[in-house]
Amino acid sequence: MISALQAYWADYGCVIAQPYHTEVAAGTMNPATFLRSLGPKPWKVAYVEPSIRPTDGRYGENPYRFQHYFQYQVVVKPAPEDILDVYFNSLDALGIDLTAHDVRLVEDDWEQPTLGAWGLGWEVWCDGMEITQWTYFQQLGGIEVELVPAEITYGLERLAMFLQRKDSAFDLEWAPGYTWGDVYRENERQWSTYNYEVAPVDVLLQRFEGHEHECGLLLERRLPLPAYDQVLKCSHTFNLLDARGAISVTERAAYIGRVRTLARRVAELYVELESAEAAVA
Amino acid sequence: MPSLLFEIGCEELPASACREAEAQLPALAERQLGVAPTRVFVGPRRLAILVDELPDRTADEWVRGPPVALRERAAEGFARRYEVSVDRLEERDSFLGVTIPGQPVEEVLPERLAEIVRGLAFGKSMVWGPDFRFSRPARWLCAKLDDDDVPVLLIGVRTVGFSYGHRFTFGPVEVPSAAGYLGALRAADVEPDQHERRRLIVEGLDALGEWRDPLGKLDEVVHLVESPVVLESAFDERFLRLPERVIVTAMQSHQRYFPLGGTRFAVVANGGDPELVREGNTRVLAGRLDDAAFTFDRDVAVGIDGLAERLGSITFLAGAGSFADKADRLVELVRRLGGDEHALTAARLAKADQAAELVREFADLEGHIGANYAQLAGYPDDVCRAIDEQYLPDAADAPLPSSGAARVLAAADKIDTLATVFGLGKRPTGSRDPYGLRRAAIGLCRLAVEGGLRIERSLLPDEARGFVEERLEGLLDVPVEFVRAARASAAPDLGGVARLAQTLHGAEQTPEFGAVYTAYERAHRLAGRAEQEAAAALDPALFEDQAERELADALARTVVEPNGDLSAAAALAPHVDRFFDKVLVMAPD
Repeated sequence: MISALQAYWADYGCVIAQPYHTEVAAGTMNPATFLRSLGPKPWKVAYVEPSIRPTDGRYGENPYRFQHYFQYQVVVKPAPEDILDVYFNSLDALGIDLTAHDVRLVEDDWEQPTLGAWGLGWEVWCDGMEITQWTYFQQLGGIEVELVPAEITYGLERLAMFLQRKDSAFDLEWAPGYTWGDVYRENERQWSTYNYEVAPVDVLLQRFEGHEHECGLLLERRLPLPAYDQVLKCSHTFNLLDARGAISVTERAAYIGRVRTLARRVAELYVELESAEAAVA
Repeated sequence: MPSLLFEIGCEELPASACREAEAQLPALAERQLGVAPTRVFVGPRRLAILVDELPDRTADEWVRGPPVALRERAAEGFARRYEVSVDRLEERDSFLGVTIPGQPVEEVLPERLAEIVRGLAFGKSMVWGPDFRFSRPARWLCAKLDDDDVPVLLIGVRTVGFSYGHRFTFGPVEVPSAAGYLGALRAADVEPDQHERRRLIVEGLDALGEWRDPLGKLDEVVHLVESPVVLESAFDERFLRLPERVIVTAMQSHQRYFPLGGTRFAVVANGGDPELVREGNTRVLAGRLDDAAFTFDRDVAVGIDGLAERLGSITFLAGAGSFADKADRLVELVRRLGGDEHALTAARLAKADQAAELVREFADLEGHIGANYAQLAGYPDDVCRAIDEQYLPDAADAPLPSSGAARVLAAADKIDTLATVFGLGKRPTGSRDPYGLRRAAIGLCRLAVEGGLRIERSLLPDEARGFVEERLEGLLDVPVEFVRAARASAAPDLGGVARLAQTLHGAEQTPEFGAVYTAYERAHRLAGRAEQEAAAALDPALFEDQAERELADALARTVVEPNGDLSAAAALAPHVDRFFDKVLVMAPD
């Protein structure tokens, strides 16, 4: 399934990127999406991204909730007129007969307050199963996009469950002789324990401050790409603190605001440098 | 006269956008075309208007220029602007002007149709390239004047001269003429008429027997499909142990299915192989319910009492303690409202489900889920019902709680929320009411007025009380001055204030009202001055006039309850009047 998607989007002309090297809650946060969607330059990219969401862990007991799962992410900027058809053809490439199934686009407006981002789009339903989130970005890091990108996020486990007609992600055949459960169930158990019970709150609190501070220094040195990594680390640290129950409802909003401020400053600097470069070119 | 079709092809529009377009298109089209459209079609992939008889020419237009008196100075410039000679200017109502003759409609349509697209305004809209906003990208335009194509002057969206059928079963579809539009699309698996789609869906549901739509999803489903097919399915009986509304929410909110009773449900699909589509949807709902059941079983293992013990660690509102604190306050309020043992037990357990995992997944079902867990723990029905209905009435037309214990708990919850939020200084503003205080205040008034619950005004701190009592104006539909008068009275409870306001309003035109008012005014004016001078106790020995004795006797006989009943006060009025007529009040004695 993954190689079929890679082949399809490579053929379409996308850069085939790799998962990012630090934890992200969604493929959107990979700089290949978040930063490259800003600025005046066209961009096409596709990649697998592990989605790390500490509060979604269920110790590998619930077959529908995981703190670690996979997305397949595609960004096409600017979105061409036929982008929906291009997407539907990718489902066809995966062997989904679009005339036999009920494939529908159901309104879903996307918003990510931590990143100061929003867009309009849909959930794509296939016989009632949400297999993709589809978004036309409008704003990222508080900045209006110049060229409107289409972001296509396939939920790989969901898609596989649909294709394999499986009721549980644990039962998915991940490779011949190996189920998804064989590969990731123990992972879920141990990481849920870490996220909810073991992750050291004091260290994490210090770490958040440290990443925030470093982000500021990197912005002063006008290095938005390394600075953005610090934003991601802040965001993940916050998620861990949240899972540990270390953040009260009131503090939550303040932490989200701090991450959003950093994301905005990084986005502004990135766009400034990109636009200057485009002007020279 | 020719027929016109204009279709705006879109990527899938939300149902709300379809409804906005349906409301706006008639007036927009009339403004641009001079006639209202005969039909307006809205749906997920297209908005369209049909005009059966479009006038061949647009109407002549009178453009008013300078006043006749300024002919010398201004006529020439005006005439030049409109490219006519000065002697062609006409006079109307002492103004000069020019009649711009109407134009052949085909000449103006390209621009006018574009104006219709640009004129649509959506609550949420996006940019994607062209210089106008729309709910989702518009991708093609098709305009036909009888069987001629009309190019539309809208930059960024192509006029294609044909349409598109069902997204997956049909590609481009030739539209032979404006009149042939409906037929062409219906042959391509598309029903553009929203009324017909609704009829087809309802017909399909009716054919399956009894169906329900408790969360009102039909209006949305009509705009989720172009080629509606109603399918029947069922979920496994093992999920029947879940609270019914959890099942309904999973079906309706998450999946837009319609419950058919028992384990059966209906899916409205947009085509596809019925067997495959049914099987897929059945598996999806099973997954949703399995997920809910997993959470449900974990909660039930903890139990309602166990959940209640966890409330200390959950913040109710920053600065207002935890949900455990809130539960303690509810118990005390229920006691002061005269609640019985069942109401007190319900108050203790009312917020326990805030600690339930299932409430995190189904936030709208707070209360209902707690009631279900209380039932499973063997609490009496009356306790469970009170927990279930504690948030009622939660809308203007919502029912009141159905039992005494439930009404007491519902009132206590609202009083506590109002008192707490006002206590934190978070008064709602015109547009912002994040804690739902207006709804709580109206609910509280309805519990007192319609529910007959005695709610002492002293249970609410001043500012919150004022806010609650102001709601009576709208609720009772009584002019504000009567509500203000009633609020100024000594009525001790909210229902009493309401009854008094209604009585005053009802009595306004009766003779008693005048009599009581006059008597009150006289006594009231005097009381202000007399407060410090009057003797502490009444001394009958000092009575000089018969009128004094009569008033004293009448007062002794009368108990005026501030309960809205004017008759006692009315009986007193003549004595008061005679007293003032006969007696020199400020006599030194």
